[in-house]
Amino acid sequence: MSSAVSGPIAGRFGAADFMSVAARWVLGGLFVYMGLSKALHPVEFLKLVRQYDLLHHHLLLNVVASTLPWFEIFCGLLLLLGVAVRGASVMLVAMLIPFTVVVLLRALAIHEAGGLPFCAIKFDCGCGAGEVYVCKKLAENTLLTALSMALIFWRSHFLCLRHAVFRSVPASKPVLNDE
Amino acid sequence: MQPMRKAKAVLLETLLVAALGLALALAANALSSRGLRLNRNYFPGGERLAVANPGSNSVGVASNAAPADPLEATRQRLQQLGLQLVSSNEVVALFRDPRYEPGLVLIVDARDDKHYTAGHIPGAWQFHHYRPENFLPDLLPVSLAAQQIVVYCAGGQCEDSEFAALMLRDAGVPREKLFVYAGGITEWTNHGLPVEIGARRSGELLNPRP
Repeated sequence: MSSAVSGPIAGRFGAADFMSVAARWVLGGLFVYMGLSKALHPVEFLKLVRQYDLLHHHLLLNVVASTLPWFEIFCGLLLLLGVAVRGASVMLVAMLIPFTVVVLLRALAIHEAGGLPFCAIKFDCGCGAGEVYVCKKLAENTLLTALSMALIFWRSHFLCLRHAVFRSVPASKPVLNDE
Repeated sequence: MQPMRKAKAVLLETLLVAALGLALALAANALSSRGLRLNRNYFPGGERLAVANPGSNSVGVASNAAPADPLEATRQRLQQLGLQLVSSNEVVALFRDPRYEPGLVLIVDARDDKHYTAGHIPGAWQFHHYRPENFLPDLLPVSLAAQQIVVYCAGGQCEDSEFAALMLRDAGVPREKLFVYAGGITEWTNHGLPVEIGARRSGELLNPRP
């Protein structure tokens, strides 16, 4: 645990620290939940991944469908525990942006084919929450991406087991965090 | 210099998370009883993808030019795969055929355990082709002995009946015997036909007198 936690919380931590913890726990909890819901039903997730028609070789399709849920759980746990927070947050951004793009492209294809109002389009995007309205999903993903990006830049170590795995300054310098 | 060091530390951490996460994910999949077999093709003959969306209020999107009538599109696709389509009436006729009881006509349900036990065509064998090792040892001998085999799943956008039929074909069942009931259990129940609950030959029937 970060050394600063042992002191009186009110005196040593500000609103940014609490916001950072809230962001980590929201993101972490959500990714663990979404990952578990897919990992427990891998066949259903495999079918949903296939429907995007992006991966044409069965080996690639199987690797993505079988590892992605567990990878999400892993990143979610890291954020919940406060371990390698920036590395995990970069990975979340690296997953969320392509997910959002493919969901958007698929929704646009449906919109063009069926002439439905864009925000009335609803489908199971394979995100772990069943069928969702596309506008809600896009807004949610944008928010999650923003939160993940904020965690990359926020310096708070509050309630972190090990915020950074690698130190960015020589160990001889007296610092409380990795700045 | 400091921002560079910081960026390098974040990059290294990201690579570590990616490598460790991938290794753990592969291990978890391998250890999970529900895990996928990485080298298995779960969609035999499924390189084409006609359906882009099974959403409740959305429409199917054809990836290439296809007939406007979905049933005709299915028929053509099955034809290319060497399979034949059967209508609801034909399945009912086969269900009432005297050859059905002794197993010369087989009806095969390609859905998972949960859906199969919730209700299937009476006497239908289960073959969830995503777990073939659980079903083929029993199903293959009776399939080889049968004269006609009808495979179905949920109906509508469901493709599992096609994949199950193709897997049976690849296991050695002559393709001439294999038929796909595209309407599936949805069409069957919509016609008020009998449905068996629980295990095969459980005797628990819904709509016993169609």
